[in-house]
Amino acid sequence: MSAPDNAILDEAAEWLVVMNAGAVSARDREAWMAWRARSAAHEQAWQRAERLMGAFADMPAALAMPALNRRRSRRAALAKLAALLALGPAAWGAWRWSENEGWTADYRSATGERRELRLDDGTRLTLDTASAVDVRYDAAQRLVLLRAGEIYIETAGDPRPFEVHTREGRLRALGTRFTVRQQDGRTRLAVLEGAVRVTVDQDAQTLQAGAQTTFSARRIDTAGPLVQADTAWTQGMLLADGMPLADLVAELARYRKGILRCDPAIASLRVSGTFPLADTDRSLAMLAATYPVSIASRLGGYWVTLGPA
Amino acid sequence: MAADNCDPRQQVHTLYRDHHAWLQLWLRRRLGNVSDAADLAHDTFARILDSRLPAVLHEPRAYLTTVARGILVNWYQRRALEQAYLEALAQLPEDQAPSPERQLLILQTLHEIDAMLDALPAPVRRAFLLSQIEGLTYEAISRELGVSLITVKRYMARAFRQCLACME
Repeated sequence: MSAPDNAILDEAAEWLVVMNAGAVSARDREAWMAWRARSAAHEQAWQRAERLMGAFADMPAALAMPALNRRRSRRAALAKLAALLALGPAAWGAWRWSENEGWTADYRSATGERRELRLDDGTRLTLDTASAVDVRYDAAQRLVLLRAGEIYIETAGDPRPFEVHTREGRLRALGTRFTVRQQDGRTRLAVLEGAVRVTVDQDAQTLQAGAQTTFSARRIDTAGPLVQADTAWTQGMLLADGMPLADLVAELARYRKGILRCDPAIASLRVSGTFPLADTDRSLAMLAATYPVSIASRLGGYWVTLGPA
Repeated sequence: MAADNCDPRQQVHTLYRDHHAWLQLWLRRRLGNVSDAADLAHDTFARILDSRLPAVLHEPRAYLTTVARGILVNWYQRRALEQAYLEALAQLPEDQAPSPERQLLILQTLHEIDAMLDALPAPVRRAFLLSQIEGLTYEAISRELGVSLITVKRYMARAFRQCLACME
């Protein structure tokens, strides 16, 4: 991902100042929305701002203040550190607007959590692990903004159009059940029932039930057939059929706090099975029981490495 | 990948073979303890592996100590933060202490935040922490620090900007 340019980051910082000022006027909100919609780079800068807010919102003051506000030695102040704020989407969970005007409702799920919601119109929305959406319903439309992770949608009948927006494009539901996943620079869509119309910058396509595709902000890939594994997460399962171990590990890692790594020596080992997502420890134990894989766990299970047995 | 005359991995390997023991001793004299010295020597080589080595290393030990010094300063700073964190943790009533996994996450995030705020002047840093950690309003911060509201906002913008620039 390219870095947003300096001028945009300057503006994002100014908006953070405004948005953190407590009472935010409707006018400021509108101006902020307009700023954010100006380009992909603006939106991207704001995503970064939200991650930053998430990092602070999760900090217990009683621990953070003494640690961060300690007296700093000259020497330490001279140290130049490269900082990576690699926070998962769940970490920006506590990002909070003053919700008094009620035009935005935010929902999110923690890592490892699957959360089912029913929206005002009766639409069912399931959040997969570490996922987040903004829901914006008004008189003219029903809009779900997918901020992170993956969702399953079962729309309810309603005269207003139903749309999901991702970073890459817009999806209009035509009476349907479908899943949408926000990946890095791509969106993945799988349609289980009805149809979904995808619109990106220079392309549009309608996907029928039983099809799945991915798209970037520019173009939509050729649709392929939907397989059960694509939507198994909605049942709390991960289905692997000759899947490279590295891919399986990457999937399971999305459902775990902490770090899950796979030794390159066994990364291409093909594995099959049905793995419970709600209990990834058990999934790992199942792997170790059926394949020549060993599990090394450190830091109380926080850091887990799969190696050759 | 371009075929280099000298394979960088081979180069690091040679560096390790010839100078690792020496570097560990150098660190041990500064730290006064063997296991920290071994860790930091390891970190030094790990960082060298991640970076681009100069094609020809005329003064390998000078190069090693330059890298090791950076790691040492970093390490002191992290330790000071951990110390302050552990002290604060010890003060918390038992039922308010976060779970061990969460404690680890909090500590990691604190290190990241600390590093981002590192280059900021003390008043800017303080204003920012009062806002983002303590949740004070800008008005309350301006009273607390005895500066104008405009100044508080300027401090906040500067701190936010610094953080955003540090992030990927």
